[in-house]
Amino acid sequence: MLEVVELSKHFKNKKAVKGVNLYLEKGETVGLLGPNGAGKSTTISLISSLVHPTSGDVRLKNESIIRKPEKIRKILGVVPQDIALYMDLTAEENLEFFGRIHRIKKKDLQRKVEEVLDIIGLTDRKKDLVKTFSGGMKRRLNIGVALLHEPELIIMDEPTVGIDPQSRNYILETVKRLNTEKNITVLYTSHYMEEVEYLCDRIYIMDHGEVIAAGTKEEIKAILSSEQSIAIKVEILKGEYLQLLQALPNVKNISVQDPAITLIVPKKANILKDLFKLAEETKTNIISVHIETPTLEDVFLHLTGRQLRD
Amino acid sequence: MRGIIWANFRLLLRKPGAFITTTIICIAFAYLLGKSSFTKVEVPVYSSLPEEEVNLIIEDLNKGDAFEFVVEDEQEVKNKVAAGSVEAGILLEADSFTLYQVGNTENFHLINQYVERYYIKRLKEKAVIDLAVDTNKALEKINEVKENQLFQLSLASFSDEEQWVYDPGLQSLFGFALFFSIYTVAFNVVEILREKQMGIWDRLILSSTTKMEMYIGNLLYCFFIGYIQIALIFVVFKYGAGVDFYGSFGKTLILIIPYLFSIVALSIFLTGIVKTIGQFNALVPLISVSFAMLGGAYWPIEIITSETLLTISKAIPITYGMELLKGATISGLSYSELLYPISILILMGVVMMGIGIRLMERRHV
Repeated sequence: MLEVVELSKHFKNKKAVKGVNLYLEKGETVGLLGPNGAGKSTTISLISSLVHPTSGDVRLKNESIIRKPEKIRKILGVVPQDIALYMDLTAEENLEFFGRIHRIKKKDLQRKVEEVLDIIGLTDRKKDLVKTFSGGMKRRLNIGVALLHEPELIIMDEPTVGIDPQSRNYILETVKRLNTEKNITVLYTSHYMEEVEYLCDRIYIMDHGEVIAAGTKEEIKAILSSEQSIAIKVEILKGEYLQLLQALPNVKNISVQDPAITLIVPKKANILKDLFKLAEETKTNIISVHIETPTLEDVFLHLTGRQLRD
Repeated sequence: MRGIIWANFRLLLRKPGAFITTTIICIAFAYLLGKSSFTKVEVPVYSSLPEEEVNLIIEDLNKGDAFEFVVEDEQEVKNKVAAGSVEAGILLEADSFTLYQVGNTENFHLINQYVERYYIKRLKEKAVIDLAVDTNKALEKINEVKENQLFQLSLASFSDEEQWVYDPGLQSLFGFALFFSIYTVAFNVVEILREKQMGIWDRLILSSTTKMEMYIGNLLYCFFIGYIQIALIFVVFKYGAGVDFYGSFGKTLILIIPYLFSIVALSIFLTGIVKTIGQFNALVPLISVSFAMLGGAYWPIEIITSETLLTISKAIPITYGMELLKGATISGLSYSELLYPISILILMGVVMMGIGIRLMERRHV
């Protein structure tokens, strides 16, 4: 359905996106992951035709949209990271306004507004001003606006930032429902790995403006199939212990979330003996040790050297 | 485009505070500074003449714009004069009048002059009637002459750099209306920048609405809101305070169009050169106050003698806005005679809007 070919965008002194290639098939949900500054938002702006690329192409159903952006705009709904709504209008008025600028016919507009309000669960609050809404309700309306003109493709840029778990679950379920029931193609970016794992069929991981890994969840996890993750919980984390762990020859990656330390090591390497020995030497009390198969988060850490939420 | 205008008016209805406040402040400033020409000086009078005759004299005296003569009893008039609450009191008699005063005031001499002139005319008429054989015929003749003057006078306006007419009421009304409209228009235009920062603009770009429609919709609304404000202020002064627009009220409502066009363009230009809304908020008062001072909104530009300041004023929209409004009213100029300031304002508008939109597109993507 959509194909991105060698897409690049250079600003004055910065190469924000460098030769990105990706594709989306009709009806699938694709995740775009990357730490802050990885180039995700610029890529989204390029795909949605808000920004003109320095080079490369975005093809919709085999037709370039660089010169004819109206082709993608007709079928595209974008949920921006910011709450792009009028706070002093009601939920219904916001939807009416965006419906009007999408040139939805007057006779259809009211019906579509009601439909969208139902999808996002705000029917009973439709007459309330947006500024009185909770963060989660604003996010839901932010999504609703993108659904008004019944798009075939939705791009969601971190649609669950800063909201309570209940609203987050509601949004995730809504996205899932839109994808399965209405066959809407979704490009989803998030800082929450579990959201991407739950929603997406395939994942692209970006860093420093480039796609550094792509594939299904299983394919991505397979990057670390020969490795294992060891999570150590300590009573008091000591710098000396951390330094000694880092110096161990088999440790490929190490991350710290005080008081826990996660190591990525080859499956064959038996380093448990060393862990305890070094703990004894540095008088560090180990509370627990868990050996796990690497998660997507571990793969992300391995590839980018950063936590997703860094 | 209509959707954008609709949403903006909805938002105005939700938060009309800024619009109402600037309108009230403008009316208050214009009224206080032009007060002397909006209000009549009250003069209490008393008389021992028959009531019918006194009423006729009062009716004649009250035909003027400056004074309001009110019949009261003798003691009340004298008390008011003694207390200084009025500048003068008058005893009206058949062939003469007596003025009571406490001190010399500016208006006292004017009142004296005005009433004296009235009595001279009245005595002349009385003399004609007394000498006439047929009193009724003489009265008829006098009334006929009053209605059809012996010499037909026609008023002609003049426009001369050396000579100018000053109407303090209209000066302050026009000056403050044009000045405050800059705030109203500018703080609405900058909403485009706010919408861009909030991401609403991106949503509009991705919709079926074209960029030109987006700009036209927003700028038309800003124009309307400025127009409604100025028109409202003019209506309040014309029908509320009875301000004389020299018969050109309708013309002033048309002549504010080119001025507002240039102010909308100026606002978009300022929005284009700033990086943040904070910068814009700091810049607008600076620009509007200096424009008002140099463009003759606070005081008549005719009193400025500095060549440098006069040259600078040529680049300021308010100069031409005042020229248009004062020209149409005080000087009674026709549209063709006002073509020069109209053209300059349109030219300024086109240039500033072109540059402003270009800057906005380049700087605030």
